[in-house]
Amino acid sequence: MIRKILIFPVWLLFAHHSIGQVDSLASDSLLLLQIQSQLQNNTPIPAQPRTSPSNNPDMSVIGDFRTTYQDNQNRHFDANLAETEFSFQSVIDPYAKADFFYSVSRDAASGEFKGEIEEGYLSTLSLPFHLQLKAGKFKQQLGKINSLHGHAISFIDKPNAYVRFFGEEGMNDEGLSLSWLLPNPVFFQELTIEETDGPRESPSFSRSTGNHYLTLIHLKNFWDLTANATLELGLTGITGVNYTEKSTQIGAVDLTYKWKPVQMNTYKSFTFQNELYWSRATFDSTEVNALGFYSLASVQVAKRWFLTGRYDYTNKPSSAKFVEQAYSATLGWYATEFQKIELQGKFTSANEADEENNFKKEFTQVLLRWVFVIGSHGAHQY
Amino acid sequence: MKNKINTLIIAFMLMMTNVFAGAIRVVTTTQDLKSIAQLIGGDKVDAFGIATGYQNPHFVDPKPSYIIKLSNADLFVTVGLDLETGWSPSLLGSSRNPKIQKGSPGYVDASIGVQLQQVPSSINRGEGDIHIYGNPHYWLDPVNGKQIARNICDGLTRISPENKAFFESNLKSFNETLDQKIKVWNAQMLKYKGTKVIAYHNEWCYFENRFGLQIVDFLEPKPGIPPTPSQLVKIIGEVKSNSIRLIISSPYFTTSSSDVVAKQTGAKVLTLATSVGAFDSIKNYFDLFDYNINQLINTLK
Repeated sequence: MIRKILIFPVWLLFAHHSIGQVDSLASDSLLLLQIQSQLQNNTPIPAQPRTSPSNNPDMSVIGDFRTTYQDNQNRHFDANLAETEFSFQSVIDPYAKADFFYSVSRDAASGEFKGEIEEGYLSTLSLPFHLQLKAGKFKQQLGKINSLHGHAISFIDKPNAYVRFFGEEGMNDEGLSLSWLLPNPVFFQELTIEETDGPRESPSFSRSTGNHYLTLIHLKNFWDLTANATLELGLTGITGVNYTEKSTQIGAVDLTYKWKPVQMNTYKSFTFQNELYWSRATFDSTEVNALGFYSLASVQVAKRWFLTGRYDYTNKPSSAKFVEQAYSATLGWYATEFQKIELQGKFTSANEADEENNFKKEFTQVLLRWVFVIGSHGAHQY
Repeated sequence: MKNKINTLIIAFMLMMTNVFAGAIRVVTTTQDLKSIAQLIGGDKVDAFGIATGYQNPHFVDPKPSYIIKLSNADLFVTVGLDLETGWSPSLLGSSRNPKIQKGSPGYVDASIGVQLQQVPSSINRGEGDIHIYGNPHYWLDPVNGKQIARNICDGLTRISPENKAFFESNLKSFNETLDQKIKVWNAQMLKYKGTKVIAYHNEWCYFENRFGLQIVDFLEPKPGIPPTPSQLVKIIGEVKSNSIRLIISSPYFTTSSSDVVAKQTGAKVLTLATSVGAFDSIKNYFDLFDYNINQLINTLK
């Protein structure tokens, strides 16, 4: 009996293969039709390809050049090519696609360039029951900001709470991610379950030397409120171990309201985005409950101009007594889809002196970045 | 007990695989393709168009709600030629629907067989938003509508071969109606052959060539780059020296720069429909040309 049940998924895979066979027959007859009609016409149609006749993947290079003023550092001004990202994306075969992002960043202080595979994963295209499986190293389904590449967000630095909880690079681990599009006829719901190795550099989690792995569950809910407005609510739960090999659990909520008029969507838009992280971590004998969140509003004031204001509040996952708050404003000028310049001013104040900020409790930063893209046209994210 | 569970599982699987039974679910990227799919598929199809008729089809936001539509679709129809490159590939990739992926029987590139215009011989982004395979606004020539309809008919036949005769017969009457209409439209526009106009964006070449208009220049200095003061000065000069009476815009562009030129020269700004549904009265592909040609005639006469 149980064996019969087990056989079913296998049968389903074969069922999908048979669809593939129908495919080739249908395209054969289509080809035949085209040949017949061309023979009848007698007029040769000049070759006009609709897609690039190349086996090369879509390639692009993204540069992120920054100049910074920071009064929490001994050296106030800096200019560096903060990140160069190389991306290669393509369908592998009829069943899957692959995405690779190789990132080279430079440490401003040491001057060393550090290259790493930022992401490299396969995604299936043909699993049944509206399932999709990712395998490799990928940005995990935590809230809104984590799945975006740094150059795609409308401000320069990552929110303080995000950096304090997950590090500059965020949750970007190796393993498997299975997502399911729920059969909800009323609104979009996607459930994602990820099982990964455990991140190597993260304030909250560590790669265990024993048999502990990282589990993440994310539920994304999305509503079209009107033709012009949408609401997204995401719920995330993560469990893993921290550097003391004790357990850490994080719960996260993200809420995003977007307004973008369908007709004039390249001229006007408004985004109100919030993410909250709550962590319960056991360090040796003590348990720490820490909280962090950010809230931002972004207005597209004209076709090329974006203004973003953000408020940050955070503890450290290792200390609930530490409280850091920050206020920032960013002005962005988007020349084309391939180039933008952003200027951000930020004021941070903390109740405790912190080594990372050169033991300054209050400081100001001014960041300017120029993001530029060459190569294939990247997809937009919503 | 185990038997019951097994029966339930079988019933669930049959349910999942037999959702086919109803109408063929067609998702198109634009309203023009939706209209043609409805005219060819008749009551056998349930069609949904993603971009609205008054929206710029280059810049559609890939909202997750579209993924639901695509995940259940039997047929996906795209304008192609990179028109939707910023949004449709990511939606297709998330749709988890192998039936409509590029190369599958349920994927229709409506541009196949269409004689393309403005195919660049070299690619350089310094020239603005250049479409590497040619200008993608080919549905604005009604003659190309026949090829689009042929491609959609072939796609529907691949999905539902038992309805082949039905689709072919609808295609035949679509072509007949279109042929008659094209004769009328050509006759209406005959008087205005060679009329020089200015356009906002380079999206009218197929319409221009079909109906004998002559687009002298664009308000955008390069495709996708908003009008600059120096470009407006140049346009004003061209309008004056060529006695141009008309500036063609689209529903998704602001008319502020066109209005500046109009004020300086006395030329009229006319917002034409780029797609079915751009204005309430445009319900199908035939209405699109009826509307635009009537507007042109009324402005030029």
